[in-house]
Amino acid sequence: MSKLVTFEINGQQHEIAVEPYETLLWVLRKQSHLKGTKRGCDSGGCGCCTVHVDGKAVYSCMTFANSLEGCKVTTIEGLSQGSELDPLQTAFVEEGAVQCGYCTCGIIMTAKELLASGQALDEEQIRHGIAGNLCRCTGYTKIVKAIKKAADSR
Amino acid sequence: MPVSLTSLKEYFAPKDEAELLALLETYHGSALIVAGGSFVHGLDARGLLLGVEALIDIRNLGLKHVTLDADGLSIGAMVTFTELQQLEEVRNSAALGAVRDALKYPPLQIRNVATVGGNIAAACPYFDLPTAFMSLDAVVKVHGPDGQRDLDLQEMMVGLFQNALEPNELVASLFLPRLPARSASAFMKLETNANDLAIVNVAVRISLDTAGSCQEARVAIGGGVAETPVRAMAAERVLQGKKISEALVQQAGAAAQSDLRPMSDHRATGAYRSAMAKTLTERALRQALGRL
Repeated sequence: MSKLVTFEINGQQHEIAVEPYETLLWVLRKQSHLKGTKRGCDSGGCGCCTVHVDGKAVYSCMTFANSLEGCKVTTIEGLSQGSELDPLQTAFVEEGAVQCGYCTCGIIMTAKELLASGQALDEEQIRHGIAGNLCRCTGYTKIVKAIKKAADSR
Repeated sequence: MPVSLTSLKEYFAPKDEAELLALLETYHGSALIVAGGSFVHGLDARGLLLGVEALIDIRNLGLKHVTLDADGLSIGAMVTFTELQQLEEVRNSAALGAVRDALKYPPLQIRNVATVGGNIAAACPYFDLPTAFMSLDAVVKVHGPDGQRDLDLQEMMVGLFQNALEPNELVASLFLPRLPARSASAFMKLETNANDLAIVNVAVRISLDTAGSCQEARVAIGGGVAETPVRAMAAERVLQGKKISEALVQQAGAAAQSDLRPMSDHRATGAYRSAMAKTLTERALRQALGRL
């Protein structure tokens, strides 16, 4: 039986009817048409569906929509301020840290939490920090470089 | 269409334990309690949720407490890995080194949602924390209609994805008894990649007496060496009562291996698991000894 759930997506309040089995990923892509969040493995193994719930990076493919009552969800679409990109997004563009792009949004959302603490990050901490995100094109070098650049320029 | 769990009919979020227990009574085995929710799809993918009609989300029940007293550390079932990782005791104590180590393996997105209670109730032999908790003599506090009962982890995890809970019970908290003063533990995991379940994992705990001999030893091994994580009693007996030397560490590793008849699956052969159980036991022992 579907239920109404009220939660914020990128600062906007939504009241959405969801089925017991529906996930946040499903709601974002099919109901809210926010396609930046990608569906990959659908089982919490690849990380391309990563979004923030109340400031914490989670796999949206495993987050039941019903569990979100009163929560604040942030997706990749919620990072930029108007036409001004988030410093992480800018760093990914400048470093060319994107090949096919499928993993990019998830990695940026994970990195966003890593950077949130304000602590300095070395390469090893960045690599360990994004261990829950797979990239099958780049070999991670430029991704790590872009995150380091954004971290260092905070 | 979403591909999984479409047979679910209801999703409940009871406001207190009484309401939860009433729902469990009504559904009588055809409801699944959801804590962090990070393994529900994993259970479904293994065909373990056939007949489950309702999910019962327990996030409104509280169960988030962490209390430390003279007897030990009590951790609410809904405490997440991230929250556990931030505890002073987990970050600094030698005795809880195994917990600290085990929490380094799961990725951020899992640590942010996965809970202590869910990790235990799933009874998954490939999980990391249960092995660590087993080395620390953890006690599971179970709530049900008749009140509370205590189970140790060996009693709680009875088979592959099978726990000892009755259909009308839940894991409320976990208790880690205070260990002797000179105690240290360590955990190690062998995995194919950062987001995979364990091929083998090992947790060890050593408590020394005032003379520096091993007063109490625990060696717990998980990750598909059996249907549940297990205590390697033979290895523990090797260490018990002795001054621990490098030779004894190697003897304990060999003893741990001799106790096991690991399974073969897509992650590894039984023979490989067996060999790695020995190696990891030795390495974890050296790690723990270094913390004493």
